[in-house]
Amino acid sequence: MTLQRTRTYECMCLLDNREVRKGWQTLKDSVLAMFTKHGAKVLSGRRWDERRLAYPIKGQQRGTYLLVYFSADTQALSAVRRDLQFNESLLRFLLVDCEDVPQSAYEPEAAFDINTIPSDDAPPPPPPPVASSVESSSDTTAEV
Amino acid sequence: MSSTNSNGGGGGYRDGGRDGGREGGGARRSKFGRFGQKRREVLPEEPLDYKNVAYLAKFVSANGRIQSRKRTSFSGQNQRKLAAAIKRARMVALMPFVGRV
Repeated sequence: MTLQRTRTYECMCLLDNREVRKGWQTLKDSVLAMFTKHGAKVLSGRRWDERRLAYPIKGQQRGTYLLVYFSADTQALSAVRRDLQFNESLLRFLLVDCEDVPQSAYEPEAAFDINTIPSDDAPPPPPPPVASSVESSSDTTAEV
Repeated sequence: MSSTNSNGGGGGYRDGGRDGGREGGGARRSKFGRFGQKRREVLPEEPLDYKNVAYLAKFVSANGRIQSRKRTSFSGQNQRKLAAAIKRARMVALMPFVGRV
């Protein structure tokens, strides 16, 4: 006999901006489908923020955060976690227990334009080579 | 008794003790009150949550290390909540492991 118990959880998903630009709603639905697939009930799923990461992940300097509140059976949680790990559009996720869902989670998601996401995903360019200045200095000495 | 008199009434501390062998002063004044440091309270509008990055950033050093209880003046329970929140924020790249926030 297995113990069946439903709990409320909070999942912060860090999404790849390259996938977000392809379409926010489709990406969000595909992520939320991973929760409902295993019998979880999604209470709220809304975009939290788009910001610069504290450190680059998979070459990405920025990312979009999706905050999901869901209730699921404790036995189904490992399956949800495994599915999230296999998803390539997720850079990171944090799944924690949640006592109560805040009221702000039920507010409608603010509209945003995916074209406004800054496009500095690529790592910063390498510093310019200093060899040219050495060559020029050697040329000047040769002339003298 | 004779050893205390030789110190010149320095509050009972011996030479070379923790007070650095002070002479002529009163008893060493504690930095904190009798019942310890005054505890910092956690306000409901500023919870110790991993999403509250601006507040958590006040309790890390310039290198990104979690400050001690002596500096944060949190209770033991809240200090553990603070450490857990900072570590969670680090995992989702909201705060750096090393470096300035």
